Amino acid sequence: MAFACIFVPDFPAQAAVRLDTGLHGKPVMIYQGAPPQAKVFAVNSAARAMGVELGMTRLQAEACGAIEWRWRSASQEATAQAALLDCAWTISPKIELGSKREENSLPDTVVLDIAGCEKLFGSLEKIAFDLKRVTADVGLETQVAIAENPDAAICAARGFVGVTVIPEGRESIILGELLLASLAPPAEFLETLHRWGVHTCAEFAALPEIAVIERLGQEGKRWQQRARGGDQRPLLPREFPSEFEECMDLDFPVDLLESLLFVLNRLLDQLCLRLKMHVLAICELKVTLTLQPNDPRGKEPVLHVRTLRLPVPAKESKFLLKLLQLDLQAHPPGAPVTKVHIAAVPARFRTRQLGLFLPLSPEPEALEITLARIEREVGEGRVGVPALVDSHRPGAFQQNRFVLREATAAAGAARKSTIRTALRIFRPPLPVLVELRKKRPVAMIWEGKRKTVLAFAGPFRTKGGWWSESPWARDEWDVLMPALRPKFESPFAMQEKKKEETALYRIYLDLRSSGWFVEGVYD
Amino acid sequence: MYVELHCRSAFSFLEGASLPEDLIAVAAKYAMPAIALLDRDGVYGAPRFHGAAEKCRIRAHMGAEVSVVDLGSQARPPFWQPNQFPERPVRLPLLVKTRTGYQNLCRLITKYKLREKEKGTGAATLEEVSEHADGLVCLTGGEEGILAASLAQEGYEKARQSLEKLVQLFGRRNVYVELQRHFDPLEEQRNQAAVRLAESLQLPLLATNGVRYAHAEHREIQDVFTCIRNHCQLETAGRLLERNDERHLRSPVEMARLFADLPEAIASTTELSAQLEFTLADLGYEFPRYPVPPGETMDSFLKKRAEEGVRARYGPKGDEQLHQKAERQVQRELQLIEKLKLAGYFLIVWDMVRFCREQGILVQGRGSAANSAVCYALGITAVDPVGMELLFERFLSEERDEWPDIDLDLPSGDQREKAIQYVYQRYGERGAAMTANVITYRGRSAAREVGKVLGFDVETLDRLSSLVGQFEFRGAEDNWENYFAHAGFDLHHFLIRKYLELCDRIQDLPRHLGQHSGGMVICQGQLDSVVPLEPATMPERVVVQWDKDDCAEMGIVKVDLLGLGMMAVLEECLELIPRHYGHPIDLAQIPADDTVVYKTLRRADTVGMFQVESRAQMASLPRNAPEKFYDLVVQVAIIRPGPIVGKMMHPYMRRRQGQEAVKYAHPSLEPILKRTLGVPLFQEQLLRMAMVAANFTGGEAEDLRRAMGFKRSEARMKEIEIKLRNGMKRNGIEPLVQEEIITQITSFARYGFPESHAASFALIAYASAYLKCHYLAAFTAALLNNQPMGFYSPATIVKDAQRHGLRVKPIDILQSDWLCTMERTVDRGGNEAPCLRVGLRYVRGLRERAVEAILRERRREAFSGIADLARRVPELLKTELVSLSEAGALNSLGTAVHRRTALWQVERAARPAGPLLDAIPEEPETSPLQKMTNEERLVADFHTSGMTTGPHPMTYCRKNLTAMKIERACDLKQLGDGTFTRVAGCVIARQRPGTAKGFVFLSLEDETGIANIIIHPDLYEKCRLIVNREKFLHVEGVLQNQGTISIKAVRVMPVEITAAETESHDYH
Repeated sequence: MAFACIFVPDFPAQAAVRLDTGLHGKPVMIYQGAPPQAKVFAVNSAARAMGVELGMTRLQAEACGAIEWRWRSASQEATAQAALLDCAWTISPKIELGSKREENSLPDTVVLDIAGCEKLFGSLEKIAFDLKRVTADVGLETQVAIAENPDAAICAARGFVGVTVIPEGRESIILGELLLASLAPPAEFLETLHRWGVHTCAEFAALPEIAVIERLGQEGKRWQQRARGGDQRPLLPREFPSEFEECMDLDFPVDLLESLLFVLNRLLDQLCLRLKMHVLAICELKVTLTLQPNDPRGKEPVLHVRTLRLPVPAKESKFLLKLLQLDLQAHPPGAPVTKVHIAAVPARFRTRQLGLFLPLSPEPEALEITLARIEREVGEGRVGVPALVDSHRPGAFQQNRFVLREATAAAGAARKSTIRTALRIFRPPLPVLVELRKKRPVAMIWEGKRKTVLAFAGPFRTKGGWWSESPWARDEWDVLMPALRPKFESPFAMQEKKKEETALYRIYLDLRSSGWFVEGVYD
Repeated sequence: MYVELHCRSAFSFLEGASLPEDLIAVAAKYAMPAIALLDRDGVYGAPRFHGAAEKCRIRAHMGAEVSVVDLGSQARPPFWQPNQFPERPVRLPLLVKTRTGYQNLCRLITKYKLREKEKGTGAATLEEVSEHADGLVCLTGGEEGILAASLAQEGYEKARQSLEKLVQLFGRRNVYVELQRHFDPLEEQRNQAAVRLAESLQLPLLATNGVRYAHAEHREIQDVFTCIRNHCQLETAGRLLERNDERHLRSPVEMARLFADLPEAIASTTELSAQLEFTLADLGYEFPRYPVPPGETMDSFLKKRAEEGVRARYGPKGDEQLHQKAERQVQRELQLIEKLKLAGYFLIVWDMVRFCREQGILVQGRGSAANSAVCYALGITAVDPVGMELLFERFLSEERDEWPDIDLDLPSGDQREKAIQYVYQRYGERGAAMTANVITYRGRSAAREVGKVLGFDVETLDRLSSLVGQFEFRGAEDNWENYFAHAGFDLHHFLIRKYLELCDRIQDLPRHLGQHSGGMVICQGQLDSVVPLEPATMPERVVVQWDKDDCAEMGIVKVDLLGLGMMAVLEECLELIPRHYGHPIDLAQIPADDTVVYKTLRRADTVGMFQVESRAQMASLPRNAPEKFYDLVVQVAIIRPGPIVGKMMHPYMRRRQGQEAVKYAHPSLEPILKRTLGVPLFQEQLLRMAMVAANFTGGEAEDLRRAMGFKRSEARMKEIEIKLRNGMKRNGIEPLVQEEIITQITSFARYGFPESHAASFALIAYASAYLKCHYLAAFTAALLNNQPMGFYSPATIVKDAQRHGLRVKPIDILQSDWLCTMERTVDRGGNEAPCLRVGLRYVRGLRERAVEAILRERRREAFSGIADLARRVPELLKTELVSLSEAGALNSLGTAVHRRTALWQVERAARPAGPLLDAIPEEPETSPLQKMTNEERLVADFHTSGMTTGPHPMTYCRKNLTAMKIERACDLKQLGDGTFTRVAGCVIARQRPGTAKGFVFLSLEDETGIANIIIHPDLYEKCRLIVNREKFLHVEGVLQNQGTISIKAVRVMPVEITAAETESHDYH
């Protein structure tokens, strides 16, 4: 039995550096949080040497000297971790992702079961160096250790710089010189051991075992065994994925959508088949297209990722393929595709008994295709349902995803509905000139035409957002005046005596820019 | 003409954004003849509103917005609009018409306030409103009102019914339909309905602006307060915030323009204002009468008690002349007391003191009461005002229309509580209450709450809070900008600038109502008809809605029952000394001229002594060199902002040391200033100066002091100055001398310290010094048992006691009690001597309940070991056992047990093996753990108990320090003035007094004593972090040895001594 551990020190900083060659060899710090509350989340060793500490604000950190900085990027970290896993998978299929050091960070260790790998890859030392080299190739500076058991490997990887191979039976001696922090036991154990004057693994290992069990329980015993480098535990391989994935490397780059759809169809068929075996459907589909890099020497993969979130779980590959086709037509990959990866989030089937007397609504699948088509025409993020937000800001709304309202909910909402005047808002508002008398509007000039105000109400004043960089302040008036544009009427109606049309408008004075605008017209 | 009849101030606690004074100032600017304050559920801001209005000759109408539970919930936005409005009962704005109305309002508020379980949640029932409606005028309110609620929820008809209900409750003439216009369409819809309703019910319309702030720009503060109140951020508060900034106080012209279509609504405001006859000047407060035996009046009864007291106080002194003088003074005072009808007040205070004496509670009056011979005779105060020639007028005068102020010092803690409960019992729940303490936004609280509202994270706010408001001194660099910059904020960012600005703007605005530490108000009738009462956070305590200054302003008499830690120490000493030294002690009988005490004081060896232990006191003691009690009175008074700012301290010290001749501005002042060597130090002297030099009466002189106090008015000052000059001119005083006297009076009046107060404190200071010098063990035990108090941490107190030869024994589970106790030991000379045992209360995290269980079991049978302790005292938690082991308190449980052995065993004992193995006898077990090193022991000592009874941390590295040519504190006195020297030690105090122009004073403690360091502001700016953060410092500088030894630092460096968590008393 042999296990290897790869440890990435200052993982978030390295995740940023690896994709940015301009940062190599420089002191780097990573900020997290929205300005002006940004704080140092991670640093590399060079920045640390210059005095930067975690939690510093930008001003404090910048006072430490010229240090390169980047914002924290979760996707970069995830990619780095995926890359780390990829590296591990190059050696062994049995890998375990280490535990998180902090709540909001990703694990920075990975353990590999390398039993039997010697025959394939050479000696343990060679495997360790290979791992270090491979991780260096993806831009990660790592510490690698190999030991007889996973925890000894983790402890050594965290505690020793470079590559460490612990010969069988020498674990306790080699690990003994490490501080207990490298073992990373629970905080309460660490506290107790420090109180006892026990600071290194060797000191912990030397305590009588039964006495330790009496005091720290079985958990204490396990940690002591780890300190001795003798805890034989089975590897906990990565959990059964919460996503189902299918992946296909293409023999040659594909640049035609039709050809790509053929591949996608095969993958979707497979996915749907697998999911069907578990009586599951798909509620989310993530397609990652690896594109042919412009620079053939570039090692970083170029990805084209599309995600489709479905309102109702789907199981039909044909339907999914149609959605994908529409999406890729709207967002075609920028280069020939070399690899296709599809991850599907499973969900249970939709089961719903339709009401006998309820109006028919469109089939969810058909509706989804329609929405996708509209989005393709009007642009991404421009299709949804407007919803009011809790704010005095004029015209404030948010756009929610369009979902078919359940018949019962619709009936409930209808209960309280009353007839209300509707204001049709012009977006953007129409800039106009307004004539005032005694601070009240008397006429409006639009497109060179003067329209007399026949009646008005107002002003209604709103001021807010004073704490933000986009405050608002306006005086609104409701004015009755000749219509700006005539209504469309049938030619027959035109024959009747033409009477000047009036309409009720909402106009407003933007108190910040002193400009007048027509906001909308009342129905 | 227009009168604003619906204003809320910041005393609506987060529902109003301007102080009452600001509202009045704006009303005065608009020439409003009157204005009404209707704060939420109370009259919290009424006295300040009334006071400010009186000054501006505006009539201040009173009232309140009263929450009523049976009238439905306040209107909320329509159902289709997202919002976070909580459900709250509607509020009736009630204006006070008559005194009966005011009393009704106070009683009504008291009723539901005393019922409320959570602050600010109380609401009256309709029945209660009906009971208390007389003398009140009801408005229909704005958006929180009944009309808005009815219209929004159930429409026009319901609104009509609601109005009819109000008419039924208050009468047709006392209900006004209120209209407000804030450019809000919804509000305007409501107004249209209200006008129709008023017409149909024939009710008058009334225009108001529903004012929430004085100026439009205060709207931002209102928004911040709304977020604080609703626990949300500005970004997410949505419709909870103001729609615009129109709820400011508008001018009559603006209001008339706004209601041009409804002029009758504007006219009603003046008509209604004319009907509101009540103001706070007509409060109707009466102090309770003291019950006297039949045939006696309060005056005759007081006279008898005073005469008895004079005999008892002055008889034993054997000074007939003094006795006669005292009798004359008492008669004079009694005549004035009778004239002012204050006998009841004196008797009530006398009664409190008598109760304390009967209960064995140490009590002493202080403050200006100590100027009164009657107070001395009644036993209220302990300083002889006749013998010390104190000025009675400082306490009471005919001219001054206010109650005298008597403060009683009591031992802090349970004893004081007993006295408070006695007052409650005696005057009933509605007859006595504590005064409130209005908690206002200060530096830290402002930074924290505004930060939260703006969405800053807790960690950042913690960092900022730790930088704010640490110093008493506020130099040019101690401003918000610097605090923010040090916390790492980018001041160029818009949001940060806004944050900064808001922090500054909400300073001093009320946050909530707290309870004053000791002020009690008492009333003859029902106190709740004078001011509403509400429950305090402490169970069984009731507070009035006004703070002590407001109560004083309103002429409500208050007695301060103040807790004084040193009184508790003295009281404990009185109990310990007879038990351990074998003889009783009476504080009244301790020798007044003890040479050891004065020698110790002159040496500034005063750690732990009352009032004379601070760094500044220590620095001045050798120069003042007290030899008699009066010197101590001066000493207590001289290290105060008054003498320092008034530049009196140094002339006095120079004259005291014979470096400057004693001279007087005018020969007539000699008798007044003789005792203080020609330098005015006390307020009484200032008063007398005015009396002698300018023929002021006692009352006029006291008026002068007040006029020049904190709230000085230029006009009033000028007036008094002319009066002073005229008086002096009449007495033939030269213009130059006049100038000098006026300068002395005006520069000093603001900060002067009353001599009587100094004398009362000096008495306690002397007693503490006497006990420390002669009964060190008892004094130290009492001092440690009453921590936190005073200037130094327990660690410093223990080290100081050890340096004075006291043996301090460590915490021991078999010997220690909860409190520190005294034991017998044999000193180096083989004599039996008392020593101190540190109590278990000093083990951090150990609960008193667990200690009670330990003591109970220990009395039954001594513990045989740690396992035995854990088994027999199941109340002990594992963390407590660990703390005890770490502190070394379990070392006595077995042979050769050291702290690590104990820690080893405790871990096992705390994990019982279960009942199955209970019967198996414990095998003695040896620990595989190493003994703690000295350093580890130090760390453990400070971690678990905040002190060490072992050697001082500096002892362990003295060899190295000596090699670095670092002097010991005790050796400094042998070095000459101007010597360049080095010292190192543990920082035990950091100070930056307001009067020291930015200088920082550090006290460094080593194993031999304390070295005083002075840091120049420039040096401080350079090494701010080191000075403030490091626990041990190495300082190089020039020794100043002019009676007082200190080192003027030129370099300050951190020094590695120990990782122990030593504590320092900083910037207090």
